[in-house]
Amino acid sequence: MSTSAIHTKQSVVTDEPYYEAIADEIDVFAAAYRNQLPVLLKGPTGCGKTRFIEYMAWHLKRPLVTVACHDDLTASDLVGRYLIKAGETVWIDGPLTSAVRNGSICYLDEIVEARKDTSVVIHPLCDDRRLLPIEKLGESLTARREFCLAISYNPGYQSVLKDLKQSTRQRFVALEFNYPISEVEQTILEKETGIKASVARQLIKFGSMTRNLKGNGLDEGASTRLLVNAAKLMNEDITPVVATDTAIAQALTDDEDMLQAIHELSRSVF
Amino acid sequence: MRKEPSQNFLNRIRIRKDLEKLTSGALSRHKGLEDLISTIAALESEKQSFIYEWTELIARSNNELAAHFICKSPNAFSHMELEGVMSWVEHAVTTFDNRGLGFAIEALEDVGAFASKFASRSVQCEFEATSNFLRYFVRGLGGRDLRVANDRSTYTDTESLFVPDTLEIFPVAEQNFTLYKLIAVHLWAQTWYGTWRYSVVEKLMRHMASEDVIPVFNRLECLRLDACLARDFPGLAREFDMFGHTDSETAELWETWRSRAEPLLQSEATAEDSLRLLSEFKDLPLPSLKHYQGEMYADKVRESLSARIEREKLEFQQAMQDIRNAPNAENDGENGEDAQKQLLELMMGEEGGEEDSELNFQLTMGGNATNIPDHLQDLIGSILQDFGEIPEEHLRPIDLGQYRDELQPQNATGEDGNESESNPIGAFKYHEWDCMRQRFRDDFCTLRELPVTPGDESFVEETLNKHRGLLKSIKKTFEAVLGESRLQRRQSDGDDIDLEAIIEAYTDFSNGREMSEYLYTRYRNQDRNIAVMFMVDMSGSTLGWVNDAERESLVLLCEALEMLGDRYAIFGFSGRTNKRCEVYRIKDFDQAYTLDVRKRISGIRPKAYTRMGVAIRHLGHLLHMTRARTKLLVTLSDGRPEDYGGYKGKYGIEDTRHALLEMKQSGIHAFCITIDNEAQEYLPHMYGTANYAVIDEVHKLPQKVADIYRRLTT
Repeated sequence: MSTSAIHTKQSVVTDEPYYEAIADEIDVFAAAYRNQLPVLLKGPTGCGKTRFIEYMAWHLKRPLVTVACHDDLTASDLVGRYLIKAGETVWIDGPLTSAVRNGSICYLDEIVEARKDTSVVIHPLCDDRRLLPIEKLGESLTARREFCLAISYNPGYQSVLKDLKQSTRQRFVALEFNYPISEVEQTILEKETGIKASVARQLIKFGSMTRNLKGNGLDEGASTRLLVNAAKLMNEDITPVVATDTAIAQALTDDEDMLQAIHELSRSVF
Repeated sequence: MRKEPSQNFLNRIRIRKDLEKLTSGALSRHKGLEDLISTIAALESEKQSFIYEWTELIARSNNELAAHFICKSPNAFSHMELEGVMSWVEHAVTTFDNRGLGFAIEALEDVGAFASKFASRSVQCEFEATSNFLRYFVRGLGGRDLRVANDRSTYTDTESLFVPDTLEIFPVAEQNFTLYKLIAVHLWAQTWYGTWRYSVVEKLMRHMASEDVIPVFNRLECLRLDACLARDFPGLAREFDMFGHTDSETAELWETWRSRAEPLLQSEATAEDSLRLLSEFKDLPLPSLKHYQGEMYADKVRESLSARIEREKLEFQQAMQDIRNAPNAENDGENGEDAQKQLLELMMGEEGGEEDSELNFQLTMGGNATNIPDHLQDLIGSILQDFGEIPEEHLRPIDLGQYRDELQPQNATGEDGNESESNPIGAFKYHEWDCMRQRFRDDFCTLRELPVTPGDESFVEETLNKHRGLLKSIKKTFEAVLGESRLQRRQSDGDDIDLEAIIEAYTDFSNGREMSEYLYTRYRNQDRNIAVMFMVDMSGSTLGWVNDAERESLVLLCEALEMLGDRYAIFGFSGRTNKRCEVYRIKDFDQAYTLDVRKRISGIRPKAYTRMGVAIRHLGHLLHMTRARTKLLVTLSDGRPEDYGGYKGKYGIEDTRHALLEMKQSGIHAFCITIDNEAQEYLPHMYGTANYAVIDEVHKLPQKVADIYRRLTT
């Protein structure tokens, strides 16, 4: 008996998710998949990593298992555990195990947040052995050909405790993501939200202004996701300045001076 | 007589007693005390506690002044709100510090005059209050990283924007604030829309009698820039219209100019067009400057422009060289000038033409687009702002002769090597990376650990007093770190049952195996196993503000770290030449935070130069020898590595980078906090993109250091 456990989302992506390729990442991922290589997605938050994985799951026609990692996520949360049902103990597969069994794509989002013991199960799965040791069952699962492991990681984190270890990162094919160039970003905004081209252009200009502030008072500039959010609000007849204030400025910082600066930047563009 | 409730009576006695105690009796010498106390007792509790707080503070300096403050405070509250009263008493305390008791009492007596002045001040907008906002705002607009500073006149030298100290042109404070913004934008526009392109500045300085034409040029450019800004920033254009001028005569004159300067309003107009129109407008009456318009000083611009051009040209050529030399460069060995030019063809185009003047460029190497590193992107952007293109000259391969100054060979026996090795005992020998030879110089540096002359302990007290609010909030955030408790599973006893463990035990039990006894969960504070080494720059350049800020930061950090229980050590570093590298022991890992340590922190003084590599190696070694799961080396510095005799520029940076790489290999995380405005250029190279922080204002250092430390270790 195998059921999916908590914190996970296993889904077959039936409709084509909207994804705008930036370089050759689709080909690279597909090639890595064919060669059973695990993939590491690097990049700042909100630049399209998760959307890319959804797109690839659709493209490769594999079910997708997404696990959002947090700091209490242990190896057994991934592998599985015993539960008691009607006086009997029943083994429940974790998301990783079920992905290995079913040949799905397993995506561990923000892997550095997870407990260190997760590397025990990830490492043997990521080299040519492709094994998942399940200690409690006393067995080792060999991954199906179709199984693929992808993890994501934001290199912008400054905490020394949240660094991806060399022994882990050197097992992956790494794809670097960044915010798309303005033409592509404009296409994304228009297609994703149906906003007018002229407004999209203003919004992107505003976005690049906030990115200028990165390292000068802001930890990160506005991500594509935030721009999309603001555009969605604008579609609902929220005025542009209010939309950028609520969807972008407040999401980026709490600093009064900075909030005011972003507010005025927005006012100057719209 | 109305009988008053006994509670009020008791209240008055309490207030009187408290205040007399706070002023050590000085209050009892004042007349009319009964009435005064009744008035104070009738005040709201917020105001009462304000009086208490300030009395206590002032009494630390002078009891008599504190007593005077109490006497005048009810009067002050009748004139002003809390904010005004605060400003009034602060003014008095500053007067006391600078001019003594007599003047301070006078300042207190003058409540009425102060209140009316304060009321008018609320219309003013001060630079102090807007500087952060302005800097962020200008940074957000894009382009070269401009400094915003205050000055008597309003202008830009293309490196900084100078704006006035205060503005009170308009009757409402918000309007004056907007005016600040518009002034900054307009100055920024001069640097962004090419008012000070190299060719323009040269023409202005060489071919025209600048005194007469500059004012005309200023007004023509104002028209052109207004049009540019209106196209790109529709929101700002509305405000520019409103804030330009207040009298109709000026408005009319500007309108005449505007209608005659039609070509300048077109999107393709450049500063060259303004130059061409100069002769035509020279004899027209000049309209007075718009409120948001600054002066123009072509000579100041030229000075900083030529310094920048030289500097950036070298940097650019060096960067090109580095890209060529990178191991993944496809060509090897082809060094012909043509081949290199072809290789480094810089493609640039005006993106979107008229609608968007943002510059877009891509670096191609052998036909493949290369990812341009951030700092190079900024550099190219800055060059484009000056020239509108990358000049031929910049693309020429580097003339190695130009770098001779920067890359002086390190002569062990040369002039600078003659420093006597006075005492070889107790000295440590370290290697140094020579980037010219691409190898180590073995045992090249001699380093000694020296004691710090203890300083005045009152410094620590003063710092704690000065930053008591900040310290409180630092402690609070650090407490939160400490309070982050973790759920520990499989404990022999605890707060709750560990369901998973029970199930497992049940399975074991059913299978006939022994049950585990570890079945509980417990919340326990996370074990912070961190050792951190603070490496403090004690070079001569830290003299003054930076040194003070460094010491203040250390005091605050120590207080906070004592609470966290992290193991930490503090060392200063400086030196002169490779023979006399010095580190100063301020606090060891195993030392407690005692009075002696405090005195040593206060005794940190600027010494000589910054030979960073060897200090990192030595302190890294000490850190390596301590037991901790996470090891962190934090450098507080004010600039790039530099030492007497060739240890500067690329050589110093490369050696430091190498020392940091050595640290990384031994499992030590390095982080740098710096106050150098140009640090963006070399810090990413030395420390890696995420491992440094640049602090733009010295007085923010104490706060930021604590903030960064917390972020680093959670």
